[in-house]
Amino acid sequence: MSRSGVGLDKECVPAFEDLKLGRDKSTKFIIFKLSDDKKSIIVEKKGTEPDYDSFTAALPENDCRYAVYDFEYDLVSGEGKRQKLCFFTWSPDDAPVRSKMVYASSKDALRRALNGIHADVQGSDFSEVAYETVLEKVSKGQGSK
Amino acid sequence: MASAGQGGPPPTMEYGGDEVGALVLDPGTETTRAGFAGEDLPKRVIASQYGYIPPTEEGGEGQYFLDDINILRRRGGMEVKWPMQDGIVEDWDGAARVWKEALVPQLCESLAENPLIVTEPAWNPVKNREKTTELMFEQFDVPAFYLARSAVCAAFANGKSTCLVVDVGHSNVSVTPVYDGLILKKGTQKTPLGGAFINQQCRAIFAQRNPPIDLTPYNLIDKRARVDIDEPAHPEMRKFPDQDIPHTASWLKWCQDRLVHDFKETIVQTYQQPSGSFSEQHLATQPPRLYEFPTGFNTNFGSERYKIAETMFQPTLATINPDDPLPFDPATVHSIGQIVKDSLQGIDVDVRQAVLANIVVVGGGSLLFGFTDRLQNELQSLYPTVRVKIYASMHAAERKYAGFLGGSILASLGTFHQLWISRREYDEHGAGIVEKRCK
Ligand SMILES: Nc1ncnc2c1ncn2[C@@H]1O[C@H](COP(=O)(O)OP(=O)(O)OP(=O)(O)O)[C@@H](O)[C@H]1O
Ligand SMILES: [Mg+2]
Repeated sequence: MSRSGVGLDKECVPAFEDLKLGRDKSTKFIIFKLSDDKKSIIVEKKGTEPDYDSFTAALPENDCRYAVYDFEYDLVSGEGKRQKLCFFTWSPDDAPVRSKMVYASSKDALRRALNGIHADVQGSDFSEVAYETVLEKVSKGQGSK
Repeated sequence: MASAGQGGPPPTMEYGGDEVGALVLDPGTETTRAGFAGEDLPKRVIASQYGYIPPTEEGGEGQYFLDDINILRRRGGMEVKWPMQDGIVEDWDGAARVWKEALVPQLCESLAENPLIVTEPAWNPVKNREKTTELMFEQFDVPAFYLARSAVCAAFANGKSTCLVVDVGHSNVSVTPVYDGLILKKGTQKTPLGGAFINQQCRAIFAQRNPPIDLTPYNLIDKRARVDIDEPAHPEMRKFPDQDIPHTASWLKWCQDRLVHDFKETIVQTYQQPSGSFSEQHLATQPPRLYEFPTGFNTNFGSERYKIAETMFQPTLATINPDDPLPFDPATVHSIGQIVKDSLQGIDVDVRQAVLANIVVVGGGSLLFGFTDRLQNELQSLYPTVRVKIYASMHAAERKYAGFLGGSILASLGTFHQLWISRREYDEHGAGIVEKRCK
C-alpha cells in the first residue's frame, strides 16, 4: 500500500509489461492518472505517437500525472542505440495542492510495481521533462539525439 | 451528518462507516498548530509554552496558564515553561496540556469522536513515538491515530516524493532527505541556528549599544512619550495589583521574544551573496532602517540588519554577549550550508543530484527577508556543477504550516482510513504498532 492508501488498478502493470517487452509495438509511452473516485491509479492513455513532443504535450499544464516513456537514443560513441524506460512524476507548480499531495504520496504504489525502470524524473515544469534534460539524465552524458 | 457550518469540520473522510472529520495536530517548539483535516490552514495556532505558578503550600496544586493571551498577562511569580526542546517533547505533562488546549473545546467537545493525526520531526526517538501513541489512546481517548513525519508531509504538499526538506524552525534548522516518501534517517541533520538563535543575536546587538537598548515589553508599559531618534526614553510603567510579587525572568524573556520577533520580521534581512563575500564595511553604506521600541526609544539599524541573519550561514560572525552566552561554540557549530553537505554525505550518490534539484524550504524562520534566495546562492556555490532548485511557497502560511497542510490533506484522503491505527489495533498490539504503521 502507498503512503496515502491509494491502490493500483489491475490494468497498470500489464500495460507496462507490454511496453517493456515490446509486445505492444505501437505504444511509446503510458500516462497514468488517479481514478475519479481517487481510490486507485489507472491507465489514462497509451501513446502511439513516436515523437517526444507528443508525449510532453499529453501532460496537463495544471494537474499531476505519472508516466512511463520508452526512451531511445544513440550513443555518442556511435556504438548504436540504447533503449531505457523512464518513469515520470509530473507535478506542475500550478497544480492544486491536493492533487500534488495525492500524487506524491501515492507514487510508491505504482513505482514499486514496475520492474525495469532505468531513471526517475520528477517534473514540475516543462523544462524539467524536456528531451535534452531527460537524455542527459538517462544516458549519463553518453547519448546524442 | 449535519451540514458543517462555518468552522465546522468538513465531512471529508470515512471512518468506521460514518463520516467523521479527522483532527490535525502539528506541535512545534514555539507554536502548536491544530485544525480539521481537509483544511489548508490551522484553525488554532497557540504558544507551545505554558505559564506556571508553583503551589504556595506543601501538597497544594500549582496553577497553569495556557494560550498566548493568558501567558501574556503579568502574574507575579509565574514561570514560562517550554515542554518541547528541539522539536521533541521533554515534559509530557506540559505538552499534553498544550495539545489539549489547542484542540478542546474550540475544535471538538471531546477527543473520543475524531481520528487524530499528529506530526513529528524525523529525529523523534522511538521511545517518544510510542509515548505519544500511548498518550493519545490512554489519556486523550482518540478512536484512531496516526503519527506523520512533518518533513514527509511538507514534501508531499509540495508535490515531491523525493526531495531535501530544509526546515528553518525555532529551535533549529534541519535537513531531511525524503526518498520515495520515506525519510532517510542517515541523512537527517540539524543545527541550532533557528529562530531562537536569531532572537539571541538580535538581543546581543541590542545589548552592544551604548547604553544597551531597553527591551521592556508593551504589556509592562503604561504611557510613553515620543522622543527624538537616539534620545533616551522615559516610559511610565504600569502598576499591577500583585506588583509586590515580581515577575519571573522566564516570563519577561517570553514577552520580549514577541517583540524581537517583530524586529526580525521588519528589520532583519538576509545578505544575498554566498558566504565569503559578506562585508560589514560595504553594508555600512546601505541605507539604514529605523525601529521604534515599546519604550519609545527609536534608532537606526544599518549593517547589523544583515549581520544578524548572516550568522546562520557563517556562525563564526556571531555577536557574543558575555551576559547571555550561546548554548554552543560558534567556531564548531555547523552552518546551514554545512548541514546540507553533511546530509548529502550520508546518502547514496545517485540520490544526491535528485534531491539537490528538489529542495523544499519550510518553517517560520525561512520567512526572514531574502532567505530562500540566499540559500539558493549558497548551495549553488557549494555545488557549482549540479542543478540546485529550491521550492518555497510564496504564501507565508504554507511555509509556516507546511507540516499541518500536508498532514491535513493526507488525513482527508478517502483512502487514508486504511492507515489509521485504530483503538482495537492499539489494544491488541500496544504502542509498538506505531513503528510498523507510521514509517
Ligand atoms: N516573517 C518572519 N521573519 C522572520 N522570522 C520569522 C517570521 N515568521 C516566523 N519567524 C520565526 O520562525 C520561528 C518559528 O518557526 P516555526 O513555527 O517553524 O517553529 P516551530 O515549528 O514552532 O519550532 P521547531 O521547528 O523548532 O520545533 C520563530 O523563531 C519565529 O520568530
Ligand atoms: Mg517546526
